[in-house]
Amino acid sequence: MDIRKKFSTLLLLLSLLLALLPISANRSFTVKPEKLLTDVLNTDVSFTVDQVAEFIVKEDSTIQLIDLRSPEEFRKQTIPGAVNIPYNEFIKKDPEIYLNNKNIRNIFYSNGNIEPDYALVYARGLGYNNSFVMVGGVSEWIRTIIETKFTGDRITARENALFEIRRRAGDMFTELNSLPDSLKIRFLDSKKFSAKKLDGGCQ
Amino acid sequence: MAPLSSYYAFPEWLNMLTAFLIGTGFGFALEQAGFSSSRKLAGMFYGYDTTVLKVFFTAAIVALIGSQFLNYLGLLNLNQVYVNEYYVTASIAGGVIMGAGFIMGGFCPGTGLSALSIGKVDAMVFVAGGFAGAFIFTETYPLIEGIATAQYKGPVKINESLGLSPGLFTLIMVAAAAIMFWIAELAEKKFARPEITNDL
Repeated sequence: MDIRKKFSTLLLLLSLLLALLPISANRSFTVKPEKLLTDVLNTDVSFTVDQVAEFIVKEDSTIQLIDLRSPEEFRKQTIPGAVNIPYNEFIKKDPEIYLNNKNIRNIFYSNGNIEPDYALVYARGLGYNNSFVMVGGVSEWIRTIIETKFTGDRITARENALFEIRRRAGDMFTELNSLPDSLKIRFLDSKKFSAKKLDGGCQ
Repeated sequence: MAPLSSYYAFPEWLNMLTAFLIGTGFGFALEQAGFSSSRKLAGMFYGYDTTVLKVFFTAAIVALIGSQFLNYLGLLNLNQVYVNEYYVTASIAGGVIMGAGFIMGGFCPGTGLSALSIGKVDAMVFVAGGFAGAFIFTETYPLIEGIATAQYKGPVKINESLGLSPGLFTLIMVAAAAIMFWIAELAEKKFARPEITNDL
């Protein structure tokens, strides 16, 4: 066999091996960098903790809170209805498994750091325009929703409505987080994010 | 581990020096392989010499296979390797202009510079033409900006848009290369021009 044939056979065998190896395809950003930057700097992509509290109180089924903190932090302070996808895990995988439902608005938050913004750029860059962030993260949530206090003599109707939502969301938060650890873990495990659940289709 | 420049944050001069050394090596290899002759490149168009296809395609599939394996073994992070952004209209228009330039000049930019460095006059004219093209492109950019940036698809890879795994796509490319090389050899026999190829 001449050298060319040997070399071709070697290349064919190596590529056959490659085809059998479990290498997943990476996806590229499909949005122009300038547009992506304008999009993520726009205020339309963020929600305040008050807006999120309202979603929770009204049990809005079109939103999904995604907590990007570590599982330990998540267990310690869980916002009702949130699922935990640690940031490092989120950026390693194709977000299709988490964000594939276009009817649901996914809201990222963490502990007031920049990770939700990175997650937002990553998700929107790949075309998931159903991605948002909650400004300030858990620390802002605690400051605004949990530690809210009414001071002063008079309260306007608007303030009253806001206060009511904060109080109810705060109650839900406290109730969930005051569950004994064993119960809470079981509760969170039952709600754990599973890609299977989202497969959907006709079965 | 690699790409080195992103892991160790090369200063600009080191980036340039690396590019210079790799470029010099590439140019030297091109010259050694006979690519500094415009007749060899034109042979691809007329079918009497398909070395260009075979060499560049072999290089591409070797790099394809090598980089996938290095990526799999964790020695090279392919996510950090720059991928050209894809503008559909510009790629078609640019491809036609470049292709016409290749066949008229008998060089591609790399082989043109390689031939220029050994003092070929036709290569000097070719490279001057390249610079003139770049100058016209820059000066008329405001007029053609719409065409140049139309239909942006991002730094997309072919396997990605076909929904194939990188490994399977590599296998298809290697098989396609083998078939093309076989056809190229047939073409070389059919369109043989010994009076030219014996000189090369």
